[in-house]
Amino acid sequence: MDQLTKEAIRYLGYGRHAVDDQTLKLVADSFWNLQTVISRKSVYRIFALERADEEQVQFENVEIHSRNLGKNLAGCEKIVLFGATLGIETDRLISRISKMDMAKAVVLQACAAALLEEYCDACQRQIAEELREEGYFLRPRFSPGYGDFSIQYQQMMVQMLDTAKKIGLTLTEGCMMAPSKSVTAVIGAGKSHLACHRQGCEACSKKDCIYRRDTL
Amino acid sequence: MIREDLGKKLLFFDGGMGTLLQAKGLKPGELPETWNVDHAGDIIGIHQAYIEAGSDLVLTNTFGANALKFCRDDYPLEKVVQSAVSHVKEAARRAGREREVYTALDVGPTGKLLKPMGDLEFEAAYEAFRQVMIYGERAGADLIHIETMSDTYEIKAAVLAAKENTRLPVFVTAIFDERKKLLTGADVPAVVSLLEGLRVDALGINCGLGPAQMLPILEELRTYASIPLIVKPNAGLPRQKGKETFYDVLPQDFAQTMQTVVEKGAAVIGGCCGTTPEHIRSMIQVCKGMQVKPTEKKAFTMVSSYGQAVVFGKDSKIIGERINPTGKKKLKQALKEHNLDYILKEGILQEEKGAHILDVNVGLPDIDETKMMVEAVQGLQSVTSLPLQIDTVDIRAMEAALRIYNGKPMVNSVSGKQESMDAVFPLVAKYGGVVIGLTLDEAGIPQTADGRVEIAEKIIREAEKYGIEKKDLVMDVLSMTISSEPQGAIVALEALRRVRKELGVHTVLGVSNISFGLPCRPVINSHFYTMAMYSGLSAGIVNPCSEDMMKAYDAYHALLCLDENCSRYVEKYGALKVVSGLGSAADTGGDAAGSAGPGGSVSNFGKSGSQPMSLQTVIEKGLKEEAGSITASLIGKEKPLDIINRWLIPALDQVGKGFEQGTVFLPQLLMSAEAAKSAFALLKQEIEKSGASEEKKEKVALATVKGDIHDIGKNIVKVLLENYGFAVIDLGKDVPPKTILKVVKEEGIRLVGLSALMTTTVVSMEETISLLRREAPECRIMVGGAVLNQEYADQIGADFYGKDAMQSVYYAQELFSHEKQ
Repeated sequence: MDQLTKEAIRYLGYGRHAVDDQTLKLVADSFWNLQTVISRKSVYRIFALERADEEQVQFENVEIHSRNLGKNLAGCEKIVLFGATLGIETDRLISRISKMDMAKAVVLQACAAALLEEYCDACQRQIAEELREEGYFLRPRFSPGYGDFSIQYQQMMVQMLDTAKKIGLTLTEGCMMAPSKSVTAVIGAGKSHLACHRQGCEACSKKDCIYRRDTL
Repeated sequence: MIREDLGKKLLFFDGGMGTLLQAKGLKPGELPETWNVDHAGDIIGIHQAYIEAGSDLVLTNTFGANALKFCRDDYPLEKVVQSAVSHVKEAARRAGREREVYTALDVGPTGKLLKPMGDLEFEAAYEAFRQVMIYGERAGADLIHIETMSDTYEIKAAVLAAKENTRLPVFVTAIFDERKKLLTGADVPAVVSLLEGLRVDALGINCGLGPAQMLPILEELRTYASIPLIVKPNAGLPRQKGKETFYDVLPQDFAQTMQTVVEKGAAVIGGCCGTTPEHIRSMIQVCKGMQVKPTEKKAFTMVSSYGQAVVFGKDSKIIGERINPTGKKKLKQALKEHNLDYILKEGILQEEKGAHILDVNVGLPDIDETKMMVEAVQGLQSVTSLPLQIDTVDIRAMEAALRIYNGKPMVNSVSGKQESMDAVFPLVAKYGGVVIGLTLDEAGIPQTADGRVEIAEKIIREAEKYGIEKKDLVMDVLSMTISSEPQGAIVALEALRRVRKELGVHTVLGVSNISFGLPCRPVINSHFYTMAMYSGLSAGIVNPCSEDMMKAYDAYHALLCLDENCSRYVEKYGALKVVSGLGSAADTGGDAAGSAGPGGSVSNFGKSGSQPMSLQTVIEKGLKEEAGSITASLIGKEKPLDIINRWLIPALDQVGKGFEQGTVFLPQLLMSAEAAKSAFALLKQEIEKSGASEEKKEKVALATVKGDIHDIGKNIVKVLLENYGFAVIDLGKDVPPKTILKVVKEEGIRLVGLSALMTTTVVSMEETISLLRREAPECRIMVGGAVLNQEYADQIGADFYGKDAMQSVYYAQELFSHEKQ
């Protein structure tokens, strides 16, 4: 089973359980359908990080209050703001299939999430390469909504990156992303190469979550 | 005046503003419009540099000056816009140029996504644009330039705001990517259709790409457009080196490519991100004195949606007729019950069967047609990219639909009656559209082809008065049933030929009228369809779910060399074995199409020679088609209720239990639910046929709360509740508390299910609960969603927290069984 399929299965809540053929077929079909509608787009900007501790994270004219993010960025000199999306056609496809077949719709949803993560990883590798040339190492990416890093900070991210214009990523009044298969994240960069095991998912305090990576 | 020069004389815009402001100290995230007030000197200086470089059109520093993006109490919008306009005028005065400098009010996007994919109401976007445009005109702007747009829907809101509230010329440019599409999916012909339909003065491309990358898009624009074209590229692509962002096309190179841009047909050129007064100066030096290659008038009949256009041509288009309650009991019922899903499914089904355009008629005597039409149009546009055909005789409903439609629709219809033309043409002139002209007038339907051609001519002449061209008219020469009008087909066919040939106008026909009152209608319909296409039918309004009609369509296109290498034909029919009578049984042209045929297919499963599976097994395994065919074979052998109790309920219980124990997972649970659903649908038909009334179902209302646009969780709960025999009233997503209360009261709802995804939207869940508590205390409320847990649910006062979809089913069952006792 390839990595993408494995991820999709995890999002569907299978945990360690064996997957039935019917679902596997739905997963394969869904990836096929998604290939024709997704439009991967991303944007990032790099800023000098002025302060990052448990009280405050500071760069440009931005201040963020989040202990978890402060920890994540401790020791970094730079901060990368990052946004990515699979585009609005993905939402339309899911919305359309929801009318016809809910089983397919939830599988599509999971597959799209897996594709998005894969894309973000690929983008991050590219950013890492670029910064590596300047002698910096990246930390794991950290998104608003992880731990105590409030999703309200998405507004700042969207504004600083001009995501609406550049990649079509917008926020609703309630701070939801539209297109829904989108990500905003910050990535720290420091001179020292730290082995970071605690990534977004593993850092979460919801230990009983069925989607959790480190219990699988 | 700008309108006199436009398209005749090459006009030069200015270049980038943002990059220059950043160089002067604008911080990332800071609102550039505040600089009109705080740094007037800098803004005037930039404008002046562009004017001195030779720009004719200078954009005000108002790109983000709309109430949705720019909300600062300390900077009143009117003041910001007013100073922005005066800065351009002041710069022109200081530059002291001989020729006129036009002040273009710059209007950029709101940064929000409109409904149904986002949460911004169309009219809220309109309102935001309206404000800034009124201020701009008042302050003395010479034109409005709507630019950097990524969404046709937002463009439409902005153009309507400009047209309805100002008298200024309107230019529109959008960002296309390398796929020649907008971020929201629209291709070039879709954008051209919309903008020319709305009658803007000039259209084109800006931002996103460098000059060379814009050439292929310009070429495609020239293929479809009839009005002057604007091209404003970036100075190449942005690159980041350390902290600095820079653009990689230098002024001289920029100028060279812009020369090609003019040769390829742009009438207005300028620069976008990264371009500087140097870029513009070089560009003007190179291009000054070049002739404008005028955009030729095109004769394409085009309709569009948010994503794609349908261009009428040699092949015949299929307009799906099934969303029309006439003679359709189920659709009537769906409309009365406000069951939008039924309509959307009809739309999706027709698209899957090959329709190019969908007719939408929701007229019933006892419903609010305007409201229903708007909901149907918006709903369909969230699930299909096919252009729609607004079909109504109610002018109010027609206008409402034309207004909120995303694209350039078909309009069904106008007739040769003066009253009809007086009412419909102004709407088409304003909103854009391709309108169907019915060849009948005050004297009725002419008996002869001559008479119908004459009326068609009259309609064309009258349309001209409104500036509606022939390409935006499609004539319906009317098919009268041959059961009462023996010459009906002959007259229609002759009229088709003549309207196409003599008048040069496309044609449309409601094909199946021809057989009204005759037995076995598909036989007549499909043959008449072939004859009509051969006589010049540009688009047939037909039932794409009818196999006979589609066979006629496919054969015609293969025969007349309109299906290259017969590839579509071979793909569709290559795998089929010819069986006599194949497919005709379900082909009644009415409600039966689309349902499973009786018997026959049951032998298809268990092919490998294994034992045929029971209904219970196939449902447990989630095999949808098999569930349908086995149910069909059981009907007649067992009573519907027995089938439900013996096979369906045990299967659902088994799967539900497995889900709870962690041996069955969500996709499987839902596959079983979908399989059961197809069985239930057949059984329901059977029960209705027998005249027995269905058992009265308990009602449950479901909604995703205000502010929340994710409805997948709610939809999962809905499918399961329906399977367990509840009548679900689905209120959709982003539902205000008041709407929920209204439905609870009107329908006497005893149980409401609310869904919310995020902490930010749980707040509106809480509001909804407290409103219901106050106004409908007898109603129970269950909640679910990603961020919720028992504690949180208790805190906001819910009666029940469902950690998964099955829990809500169990709660509903328990609640209503208690009440029965």
